[in-house]
Amino acid sequence: MKEQILERLCNAIVECDVEQAAKVAQEALDASIPAIEAIQNGAAKGLDIIGSKFNSGEAYLPELILAGDAMKAVFDVLSKALKEENADSSAQLGKVVIGTVSGDLHDIGKNIVAALLAVNGFEVYDLGINVEPKTFVQKAEEIGATIIAASTLLTTSMPYQQDIVQYLIDSGLRGKYYYVVGGGPVTADWTIKIKADGHGYTATDAVEVCKRLVRSGQTPGTFEPVILEYYQG
Amino acid sequence: MSLRTEKILRSLDRAYNGPICSVKDWDTKVIPQTIRAILKKYGLEKTCDLENPINCDDDLADQFFRAGWELALELGMLNVETERIIKITEEELIDTLKHKPKEIILGSGSDQVILKARKPEDPTPPLLAASLGIVVSEELYVPIVEGIVKYKKLVDVLHGPSLATVYGRKIRSGTPYETLMGGYEAELRCEALWRAGRPGMAHTGIAGAVTEYGHLGGAAAIGGPGNVTMALCPVELKTNFAVFHRIMMAINNNMRIRAGGFSYIGGYAGPPEGAALANIAVDLLIATILDSDYTSSYVYDIQLLGNCGRKALWANSIAIQAVSRNTNLIRNKIVNETGGPCTDMFMYEAAIGLMNHCVSGASKTTQPRSAGGKLTDYLTPMEAWWCGEVFKSCAGMTRKQANEIAKKVLPKYEERLSNPPKGKSVLECFDLKEMRPSPEYQKLYLDIRKELIDLGMPLDKVYEEF
Ligand code: B12
Repeated sequence: MKEQILERLCNAIVECDVEQAAKVAQEALDASIPAIEAIQNGAAKGLDIIGSKFNSGEAYLPELILAGDAMKAVFDVLSKALKEENADSSAQLGKVVIGTVSGDLHDIGKNIVAALLAVNGFEVYDLGINVEPKTFVQKAEEIGATIIAASTLLTTSMPYQQDIVQYLIDSGLRGKYYYVVGGGPVTADWTIKIKADGHGYTATDAVEVCKRLVRSGQTPGTFEPVILEYYQG
Repeated sequence: MSLRTEKILRSLDRAYNGPICSVKDWDTKVIPQTIRAILKKYGLEKTCDLENPINCDDDLADQFFRAGWELALELGMLNVETERIIKITEEELIDTLKHKPKEIILGSGSDQVILKARKPEDPTPPLLAASLGIVVSEELYVPIVEGIVKYKKLVDVLHGPSLATVYGRKIRSGTPYETLMGGYEAELRCEALWRAGRPGMAHTGIAGAVTEYGHLGGAAAIGGPGNVTMALCPVELKTNFAVFHRIMMAINNNMRIRAGGFSYIGGYAGPPEGAALANIAVDLLIATILDSDYTSSYVYDIQLLGNCGRKALWANSIAIQAVSRNTNLIRNKIVNETGGPCTDMFMYEAAIGLMNHCVSGASKTTQPRSAGGKLTDYLTPMEAWWCGEVFKSCAGMTRKQANEIAKKVLPKYEERLSNPPKGKSVLECFDLKEMRPSPEYQKLYLDIRKELIDLGMPLDKVYEEF
């Protein structure tokens, strides 16, 4: 019975079925399956499957996004139980506010990063494109984020990535959020120059960088940035 | 009111009163589901042939065209701001194809060129615009452009690099710095063309205009019927007001319209077959909805961050052939290299990508996109020259010949596509005073050129015949 529910939960995620995912999550609760187990042995397995299918070119961006939505629905149903089990922090890696900065409409890369983060257990708030620096910070404050992630593909929008750090510093919030930057023209040098906390070359790297940051337990803005970049010199 | 204005206003009106659909539903449901259904209906699932990356099957190309036609009529394009769908009727599409010119004149005086519709294996050489909007330092802008356009046989139209700064100030997207940059870039472009002795060469707008501001700031200075405005649409089958602003600027300044929309393998359109289908549909839709004189749409691979791998080569070949064989639409097709200047990687990617576009029936390309176009000053005139040499020389080759060459060259670079070499920046591998590549770059060029000639690429043709 329990195995069956967990399997159906996994399948609902793989099939990107938001309603079914919420429904089976409720069944799991009703069957007294611990929320943390429903996530780890059910839903998260589905996300793993979708994630690796995407990386191998068998699943595509829509599936990635919808699987993330289905996972969100599962969390919504299980959130109360998770809190009661005191398992909130171990089940989820943290909240990420992500967006493409001002003047920039490129969003495919950012959407992949957002979806892969969600599929890997982060709760993601996507602000979309053309987002002003202070909006990132305001949203982070509002939802209690752990990470702020800013994407840009335009050299002329890179200054806005720097503005975000400056806004964090000027408003006394730098120590509160890990700040991660990425997108085509963003390099290791730029990341170091603007004193961000992390940078990844691809979406997979972005996930790894965010994981390393939250697991480091260090105060944002006080350490060498975590950078995964391998454009050959 | 001109016919063009009437058509554009009709589309804009539809952006306000067409059927409602959210961007999220469009991207994650409407697009993938419709594409999947149409691929199935036309028996096109899993037709991508990785062993033969350049399609040689006319029937398959025609079947893709029929399916793309249906997709275009079924979907239309979503306008992002109003979240409404701009639909077209079959009569409008037929009317569009009937009245599109088969050739258009770009540029003026002795720098004038004719851009023509081409068929697969067409012996007419296609045109080359250079360079893509790769960012370069302000002080290098004029010499780099002067170098790029130096050889008349190789480069026909100026797309131009983008400026890193304006009078030493950092340019921020969407600010008055960008507006000022628009006028300034126009000035520098004209200066460079004048220095190169090609003052009448066609421009395709302000390369550094990332928003309407830069465009409004400079487009009028390089307007008129020999010049082109560029309007690029969001992925997949979407449009927005930034695109419409650019089209209106073209109307105001009596310019040609080049509009494009890209299709992604691995993105909303799904597999290579889905991306090819979306690419065919977007060419048809843009020609109708945005009344483009020519389109600029191509397939890109989301995993490889480029389009020189097998999947993207195949998808581009089938999409280009489908539209070339069945319409007279003039199309610009871009190759997205990942290797940077002074690398064998760049040269192989450009050669195979451009050979494919040329034999499949593209009319024009915009090149180079060295190092993915991402790194400041990773652009030299040499890449543009190489692209012109390859793209034009391949005119008249058969698809079969091209496919055989592609199969031999792909193994030389495909494993490096996910980890490409960024190469060298302009000052490290090109002498802008003498306008020649460094000895290292020249040797690389001669070696690879010989290697490709030995494999059957007719690279001497551009110098001998045209
Ligand atoms: C597709 C595309 C477009 C599409 C965008 C569609 C869309 N909805 O996103 C359209 C056609 C609209 C477009 C428009 C323009 N574009 Co454009 N575009 C591209 C192109 C070809 C591919 C970008 C892409 O989607 N890549 C695929 C994704 C998957 O890759 P990615 O975005 O790099 O993301 C990956 C990583 O970077 C990383 N990542 C991304 N974000 C983040 C964030 C974090 C925190 C982390 C850690 C990692 C990370 O993970 C992603 C997945 O692996 C690039 C060229 C290139 N090779 O990059 C040019 C490019 C980015 N564009 C360019 C330009 C100039 C423009 C225009 C100004 C052209 C014009 N004159 O109109 C306009 C600008 C519009 C605007 N204001 O934004 C230039 C930018 C040059 C520069 N350095 O500033 C480029 C580099 C082209 C070039 N030079 O040849 N473009």
